Amino acid sequence: MPKLTPRMIISLLIALALLLLPLITDDDNILTLLLLTFLMAGLASSWNILGGYTGQVNLGHAAFFGIGSLITRQMWLGGWPFALSMASGCVVAGLAAAVIGLPAFRLKGTYFAIGTLAMAEALRITIGNILPTVTNLPTEVIRNYELAPRYYLMLTAVLLIVAITIYLNNSKLGLGMMAVREDEDAARAVGVNVLRVKMIAFVMSAFLAGMIGGAYAFYFVSYYPNFTFGPLFSFDAITVLYVGGVGTVVGPLIGSVFFVILRDMLVKNLQGVHQLVFGLLFIVVVLVLPGGLVEAWDRIKQYVRINQSPTKNQHRETKAQTYPGENLH
Amino acid sequence: MSRKVCLLLCSLLILVLAACGGEQAPETIQIGAVVPISGSLAGGGGQVERGYQIAVEDINAAGGIYVKEFDKKIPIELTLLDDESDPNKLVTLLESLNSDQKVVAYLGGFGSGQHAAAAAIAEKNKIPYIGVAFALYAPHGQGYKYLFSPFPKSQDMASDIFAMLNEYLPEGERPTRVAVFQEQTDWGVELGDLWREQAAAQGYEIVVYEEYSVGSSDFTDIILKAKEADAELLLSLPTPPDGITIQRQMAELDYTPKFQFTIRAPDVPTWKDLGEAGDYVALAPGWFYGMAYDGVAELNEKHMEMTDRPADPIVGPAYAAVQILADAIERAGSLDRDAIRDAIAATDMDTVVGPVTFREDGTGVVNAPILQYQHGTIELIYPSEFATAEMIYPIPPVSER
Repeated sequence: MPKLTPRMIISLLIALALLLLPLITDDDNILTLLLLTFLMAGLASSWNILGGYTGQVNLGHAAFFGIGSLITRQMWLGGWPFALSMASGCVVAGLAAAVIGLPAFRLKGTYFAIGTLAMAEALRITIGNILPTVTNLPTEVIRNYELAPRYYLMLTAVLLIVAITIYLNNSKLGLGMMAVREDEDAARAVGVNVLRVKMIAFVMSAFLAGMIGGAYAFYFVSYYPNFTFGPLFSFDAITVLYVGGVGTVVGPLIGSVFFVILRDMLVKNLQGVHQLVFGLLFIVVVLVLPGGLVEAWDRIKQYVRINQSPTKNQHRETKAQTYPGENLH
Repeated sequence: MSRKVCLLLCSLLILVLAACGGEQAPETIQIGAVVPISGSLAGGGGQVERGYQIAVEDINAAGGIYVKEFDKKIPIELTLLDDESDPNKLVTLLESLNSDQKVVAYLGGFGSGQHAAAAAIAEKNKIPYIGVAFALYAPHGQGYKYLFSPFPKSQDMASDIFAMLNEYLPEGERPTRVAVFQEQTDWGVELGDLWREQAAAQGYEIVVYEEYSVGSSDFTDIILKAKEADAELLLSLPTPPDGITIQRQMAELDYTPKFQFTIRAPDVPTWKDLGEAGDYVALAPGWFYGMAYDGVAELNEKHMEMTDRPADPIVGPAYAAVQILADAIERAGSLDRDAIRDAIAATDMDTVVGPVTFREDGTGVVNAPILQYQHGTIELIYPSEFATAEMIYPIPPVSER
């Protein structure tokens, strides 16, 4: 059995508290806010696999979230069992990434980013034309709507994505992804199949975004089918990640708390200037902590370590022994 | 019995009596509204916000709403939050208004998509919801019990145009050859279907029915089809950018039907930038500041103080929504949500949008005025009893203006 570190104990306690919360409170306000935090955490974490670990900036992530939600919603409301509908949504999102990935990975850097954005926008407009009417949960479902199952579904999806990113941190595949991110040519030279690694990351990222989309289709009462393909979902996920910390496990989780809960507090308490204040806070975080809020934790640890070290020289020696990738949590 | 025990018993007795004395009157009546103040729907949301603010100020200036249960007037406290035109934030904020403020009713925002999501949350939370600024009927077809909308619906807009033409024009002069440019959105599909039904029922023939996507930049194909088919009446409901593009391209292609009814796009002030090309178009924004109902003059005056212009088209219906809610709370005589819901359903009152009652499905029976741009000025042409000018028909070709 692996040794439990303080960080693991804290993480397990938080996960346990989140699992028990619906049993303690039935306040839909708290549960909704947390559910939307999970949504952003899930979207950002799934984007992180391709963008953070593999270094491929995908501005069309919403397309896979949208595919997941569309397939799940249409099948589920069409009478199929929900689990099968959601599984289909994930698979179709993953397949779409496989189909798009092959030509898209002929593009690099900015061109790949713009290409994926264009793909998502084309899908959004097409879906809007084919399915222009709003999709509602049946009235009876709304009248007997229970938030707790939706909360648990979204939480489970996020925990699964977190587990996958933890696995990536310690696996050959994950190291391959990070090698591709740092230098594609160098990665190729040491035997990494770059296209294969990129494709796996893209399909994995899309599959998981589709899973979050499926959970969203189960949760949200009424929306236009092309709404989930909107660029806002891509950009919000990226914002969350840059606030929290790119290429880390906990970055998207911390970033989503900042993004959803802080914004909600600002809307309620600083009506009129809430967007300005949030924008300023975002700029401050990015400028002061380029590695995201995760970096704040690292700095605190470093500060404590310096103060606890018998001499500063000893600390310098310790610091010199660190290696790239150590700060990938 | 000692003096201390006696005092204790007396205190307990006072507490018990106080507890039996019924619920204490709240300091304010909590009403919640989530409106898009920023984002893509901010233009319309701003109008809704102004309407609510002026109405709440007016009611509170008179001491608030009389609530029989507490035998006193209680002022309204409106918590109005910005959803940034995002349905996700809208839902969160509606939940928070329920949990934190314990609102007795919701007032709606702007835009059909936002209303559809909000109405579902209201139904889930069993909180009465009054929403204006959405003509889409579909949410009412869901069978919601708590949704009320004192605003003209697609059905009214589809039938009124033919009713007006039939009232004003003798049979041989009517523009019976109709072209419909249908936007590929839910409202577009809904209204397009209703126009088809109504045209057939009222002696008109659809000769061109063309669908297009929102945000298109080239409408020449569908305009030429209407021109070639000699369509005399053009019906459409484009967004403002699309509507302005259509109008420009119609002028370039020298196509002027005998009458043009365009919903939504001409409602915005930028329509005037079209100059002569945008003149003579008929529109139905849902309300008009020139309607001679009680309270409209005062509303215009207050709106002038805020914005230097008379009340915008959605300000009136938003003001009326608060009037309806206040009246319902007073008739309910309590702050119980279900009692208020039942009182709203039984509404029969005069407001700044005229007399209002509700159908079983929550749609309001309200007047839906038809206006027309006449030499750059908006005139009310229908219903005839409120008309500020006669309908100009046939409208002169752009080249002859």
